[in-house]
Amino acid sequence: MTCEDLRLLIGADPDSAGPELEEHLRGCEGCRAFREEMRRLNADLRRALDAPPDIRVARPRRAAPAWREYALAAGVVLATAAAIVVWLLRPTDTLAHEVVAHVKAEPESWLSSHNVSPGSIDHALKSSGVGLDLASDKIVYAQSCWFRGHYVPHLVVETTHGPATVLILRHEQVKARDNFREGGMTGVIVPAGDGSIAVLARGRGQVDDVASELREEVHWLPEPATIQKDHP
Amino acid sequence: MLFESMRPDLLRFAQWLARDRSIAEDIVQEALLRAWRSRDALKDPAAARAWLLTIVRREHARLYERKRLELVCLDDAVDVPDSATSAAADAELLTLRYAIMKLPLDYREPLVMQVLGGFSTEEIARELELTNTAVLTRLFRARLKLRDLCGVSPAPGAAAREAPA
Repeated sequence: MTCEDLRLLIGADPDSAGPELEEHLRGCEGCRAFREEMRRLNADLRRALDAPPDIRVARPRRAAPAWREYALAAGVVLATAAAIVVWLLRPTDTLAHEVVAHVKAEPESWLSSHNVSPGSIDHALKSSGVGLDLASDKIVYAQSCWFRGHYVPHLVVETTHGPATVLILRHEQVKARDNFREGGMTGVIVPAGDGSIAVLARGRGQVDDVASELREEVHWLPEPATIQKDHP
Repeated sequence: MLFESMRPDLLRFAQWLARDRSIAEDIVQEALLRAWRSRDALKDPAAARAWLLTIVRREHARLYERKRLELVCLDDAVDVPDSATSAAADAELLTLRYAIMKLPLDYREPLVMQVLGGFSTEEIARELELTNTAVLTRLFRARLKLRDLCGVSPAPGAAAREAPA
């Protein structure tokens, strides 16, 4: 049992128990601390839920003077402009950081071991305007995920070195191959056509070969119509 | 009589789901009516609480699907403790209660079912028609979101996880 598996169980139910879990905890200080933290939170949760919520709508505040509304509007415009500038000038390595954060937020993706139906794979790819000539029996996880303002295919493929996560980033351009290690994962982002492909593996996994192979197999389909969907 | 004695429990459960007292009262009223009509289906009185909570949850889901409930804007709402609880309530507890109310229903529902209703992961999965892994993930994310919303720093050595998007 890995730290990731264990934390998913403990986070879902801090009172989880079992010989495998206890054995891991005996040798892992970080996971012991995580369990203690989750147990404390759970005790607080029980106290918090013990009484029903009592919601009252707060009294509307007195209307602000007109000049304050103009000042507020100007502030919003300036803040938006500043945010756009920061976004445009963001360093490339934040892309790697965000890819890692996204993958860590879907821990269940690593747990999949069954092949995904061709229909699900097709949906995850086509809804992002991506075609992939990869044997479907290698794919054990396929989702269309919201990432940096677009839906992107999030796949887990079985390789000879274990599972590798693939994010096909049609809208993210990188100038050159970027290898990185972060959050207990090894990753690489490679340019592919007008976009890029990110490949991640846990630990010191092999990602370069997978990335090179995928570069040959991915192709961009006509951009699908914008889907007006809430951010999950 | 047995059903009626559980009304406070059911109402509390419904309120955490609906986040509105009057809607929760309607839900519980309807649920008790349904329970009474199908009381023969309850073979074991010891299972009455779980059975009634399930009916309440389904009634809430039905109402939620039937008409888009008027949403409570939590930025304009406050959790006002009544006089009995205000003495005991501390700031941290109020923050946590507010954070629970802010959780999206997809996370709040399984969490309330587990902590307040005492349902197991498997029972929640069955009831919500989800896979076991999906329920584990939702519960895991719910707790991490609460931790983040409450501004609690992860314990040393336990800081590896980030709040899901």
